[in-house]
Formats: sequence, structure tokens, C-alpha cells
Amino acid sequence: MRHFTFERAKSVDEAVKGGAQPEAAFLAGGTSLVDLMKLEVLTPLRIVDVSRLDLQKIEARTGGLVLGALATNTDVALHPEVRRRLPALAEALLSGASPQLRNAATVGGNLLQRTRCAYFRDLATLCNKRTPRSGCDALEGWTRMHAILGGSNQCIAAHPSDMCVALAAFDARVKVRGPQGEREIALTDFHLLPEQHPDREFALSPGELVISVFVPTTAAAARSRYVKVRDRASYAFALVSCAAGLELSGGTSGRIIREARVALGGVGTKPWRSIEAERALAGQPPTKDSFRKAAELLLAGAQPRRDNAFKVELAKRTMVRALTLAAEGA
Amino acid sequence: MRAELRGLGATLVVLTPEGGVQLRPDDPPERLRPAPKFWKTFAAGLPPALTLILLAPDGTVRLRRTSDDAVEPEAILLKVLRAAGKAVRTQAADAKHPAPARNALERARLAGSARGLGRRELLLTSLASAIALAVLDACATTPPISEAKPNSAIGPDLIDVNLEINGETRKLRLDPRTTLLDALRENLGLTGTKKGCDLGQCGACTVLVEGKRIDSCLALAAQHDGHKVTTIEGLADGPRLHPMQTAFLEEDAFQCGYCTPGQILSAIALLNEGRASTDDEIREGMSGNLCRCGAYPNILAAIRRVRS
Repeated sequence: MRHFTFERAKSVDEAVKGGAQPEAAFLAGGTSLVDLMKLEVLTPLRIVDVSRLDLQKIEARTGGLVLGALATNTDVALHPEVRRRLPALAEALLSGASPQLRNAATVGGNLLQRTRCAYFRDLATLCNKRTPRSGCDALEGWTRMHAILGGSNQCIAAHPSDMCVALAAFDARVKVRGPQGEREIALTDFHLLPEQHPDREFALSPGELVISVFVPTTAAAARSRYVKVRDRASYAFALVSCAAGLELSGGTSGRIIREARVALGGVGTKPWRSIEAERALAGQPPTKDSFRKAAELLLAGAQPRRDNAFKVELAKRTMVRALTLAAEGA
Repeated sequence: MRAELRGLGATLVVLTPEGGVQLRPDDPPERLRPAPKFWKTFAAGLPPALTLILLAPDGTVRLRRTSDDAVEPEAILLKVLRAAGKAVRTQAADAKHPAPARNALERARLAGSARGLGRRELLLTSLASAIALAVLDACATTPPISEAKPNSAIGPDLIDVNLEINGETRKLRLDPRTTLLDALRENLGLTGTKKGCDLGQCGACTVLVEGKRIDSCLALAAQHDGHKVTTIEGLADGPRLHPMQTAFLEEDAFQCGYCTPGQILSAIALLNEGRASTDDEIREGMSGNLCRCGAYPNILAAIRRVRS
């Protein structure tokens, strides 16, 4: 690990000020940052410890949930209102990492976690994310864990988060505060596509600190599920995952989808929400056929590589499963 | 010199009739006022000219040497630490044929030696004489403790961090890069917490911080300043093992034992969390602790035993 100075922020303002300094990094749970600092993938000169700031609260309001940036993944996953009003989020969080990591990892840290692309984590390989314009060894490398949606000729690293997939599906908005004041960013705009600048991953300016996340809790959110497929039964990053929510109308015989929400994980270079698939589902009966059609539509533009062609079909089936479970109700 | 003392995980106490100095591996020297009670406990009698005591991490006296002559402290130290090597060597034999304890001090010493001769300890015995000359110098030249500002960054090099480890407050002065795991193992000599992958993927380093289990390898010690930490060393109540430790023994829940401290702390936390009502829940709840020997069925059995 490289040398750095350590300071503990006593207020949000103090944190923002420290975070705006060159080569500064915010430290919350540490599960992502400390890991990457050990590998020397990240080498901040200044660590601003924000973990003692008063941003832990989880608030259940009439229209939605407010998740404090420092609420731990465990706290959010086990919160009774989260489980009742947005079960997909609770399921997503509980499917991620291990209990030890979830106890340390925070909402803000999860939003900002970096890819698990093996080439990004290995200094001996080329990576445009790590060193802009240096090349990408993943493109012709071992791509089992890589993205099939949203990649560019610079980067195909998959976004690793489960939490963000659930948040993306349900219109979450991120509140940040920076030297310029406070603003809100839609979660789907928070993460950037790699395009020609894979080193730029977040729509944040220097010093901007995540304060909280607001998720509207709609009828579709209450009837939502998260399905994750991975290489082992637990404690592994997703090969494919899907957050799905449905609002249904009509009786048990003639039910119709009023509103659908779908986002995929493990397949995109960012949490992959599909408005197109959601529109295709609206007005349809909640049947396997409609789910499959929407899945075909979503994956039509997939660009698999040598080792991850299986993800195309796996993603479709995972999406059908998640929608089926959502239709059945919690 | 402190590194060597740290390696031993020991505290050095030097007593003279005028007072004394206590030196922990990571704390500034602490001056001791003359206290008759203290004298009685450790020196067992009238204050001699100089007494040197080496305390093991658990507070037991590992070594005590006194001199009735007002000789040079350096000379005494040298003598004492030469004897230390011999004492440690003979402890292995003592452990095999324990002599009846005559008093509390003796009992404490025997309890210490009953642990046998550790590999770490044996290696470090040879360093003991190197400590000798440096100790008193360090005591004399390090500024008194009150000048150090707690909780504040004191430059890019070292920061002060207080941790409450197993109920005892420990003051550390650390490189900010020190992880909680390294602080426990390298600075405090608490090597029960294991370093496996060092990347948050195996759970061998699991400890409880403020009652919650975390991977100590992915936490900076500095970010846990002032927090309560429970390690495997803090579970037993004297000679009485924690029920989870007993269950692991009885169910044969380990083979090589390397992952065991992490498994045990994780298991205790899991039961506290109250999400272990079925075998599947236990398996899921323990998924952050890998066991490459594959003792999983027995680990499951041990946790089930404690739960019921």
C-alpha cells in the first residue's frame, strides 16, 4: 500500500473540503477502497474518513425510502420497511458479498465500488480504466465475468453491484453534496458507460460526497424480486442477475401488467435498466411468453465475447424467472 | 527495540524504590508512582534496588528478576535478559512436570507456562538480549504520555489510535496504512486472528467490532479508533472456553485450524444476529468463512449444538 495521510471528517462540509483536494479519496466501510489500495490499483495520497458522519439513517417516508449514505448493507437489507416496500433491494443486498462485508459496506460505498474485472485488479496487465489509453487485455482475454451490454472498444468490465441493479430498476435518485452545493442525480445517470473514457466511471465532480439515496416505493416496487445466478451457491459476484417488479391489474383470471420494472446485473458495464423491455411488458398479461419476448428485446443488442456467450441465454432465463416470481407475489 | 518487545507481545515493568516505568510495545513509557500495593503484588516484599518484570499479553508474569545491589540498571537488564532465554527454554520442561504452585504469583506463572513453548516465542527469545540495552534508554528519552494528542493526525507518518481490545484499552501509534488485522497481529501480538487471503475473500480475519463481525483485513485500524474489538483471545473466561469454542472441539469442526478463529467469531455473531434457524440459514450465514480442509459439516454441527 502506498503512503497517504489520514484525516477524519467531523462534518459533511469538512469532508467535501478534504475530498476536493488533489488525490483525495473518501473512506467509509473500506471494503472496496482498502482492497484496491492493497493491490495498488488505487493510490490516493489523502484519505478522508467519512465513516463517523451522521449519515446512517434509513427513513421510510410516504412516497419512498431515504437511505443514508452510511447505512450499512446489512442495515438496509434487514430494515422492515425495505423488505416490505422494496423486497428486491433487500434480496439484492443479501445476495451480495458476505455477512462480514455487508456489516462494513455502506450505501455510498456500494454506489462507488469498482469493477471486479481481473485485468483492472492486476497491475501486470493493460487496462484503460486504470491507465487511460494504455490498452485493454480483457477484450481478447478471459471474459467469463465480463459485460455483454454497454461495452466499447476500450472496456468491457462488468459493473459488480447487486444493490445498484435494484436501485436502477426503481428510479432511485442519489443526493450528493460538493463544493458547489447539493444536487440530485438519477441512479441510471450516476454510472457512466465506458465509451472512450472508461477511467471516468461516475457522474461526480471532485469533492462530491454521496449524502443519501431516495427510492420511490411504488406498487411495482412492493411486488419486486431479485434473482442472482453465480458460480457458487453464495458469496460470489453475479454471472447474471435481475431485479424485476410488476404492478398488476385485473382479477386472477385476466391479469394485466400495468407497469413493469426490469434491470440486469452482471451483464452490463453499468447497472442495466431497460425502459424498452418495461414498455414491451406494459399492457401484456404476466405470462412466460410476454416475459420471454421482453427478454429477447432487451438482449437483442448483446455483444458477447469468447467466454461469455452463455450469458445471453442465461440473462433471458434469469429475467423470465425474476418476472415470474414478481408476478406470483412475495 | 519496540518491534522486538512487540514480537514477544510483552510488557516490561522496571521498578525502583523511587517508582518505576512500564513499557508496552506500542505505548509511550508510562511512569509508575511508588505504590506499596503494586510493590507487594509484583515484588513480593520490600522494594529491592531494582526489579524487572516481563508481563505476558494476558497479564501473567513471565519473568521477574531483582537485584538487592544498587548496580547499574543496564547491567541488571543484560543479566536479566540473558536469563530470560534460559527461563523460556526451561518452561517447556516445567509444563511437562508442573511443580505445585506456592502462591498466586507462582500460579499465574505456571498458567502462563502451561501454554507451552510457542514457535514465535522461541524465535524471539534470541532477540531478548537485543532489547536489553535499549530499554532503559527508551524510557529515559521518550516524552511523557500527556504530550501526545489522542485521535489527531500527527503528520504523515504516524497516528494515534486507541482500540478497546477484549475489554482493555490499548494505545497505539501506527502507520495510517495499518489494517486492523495487522494492528492486532503485529502491533499487539494477538496472533489468534489469522491472515488468510488479506483481500476480504476468506473470512479468516473475522473479528467483532462493536459487536458486529467484519473482515479485519479490509479495515484500517485508524477508522476504528475508539471502537470495541473482540478477538478469539477475548472469548474464554479464564480457563473456561466459550461455548462455541467447546462446540468446535466436541464436533471436530476443524482440521488444520487456520480458519477456526474466524469461523468461531463468525458463528458467535451469526447466532447473535438470530438468523440461523435452519441448516440452510447457517450455511448462508457462514458463507463468508472459507475452510479449505472442508470441515463444513462439522462446523454446521457445532453451531447447531450451541444454538440449541
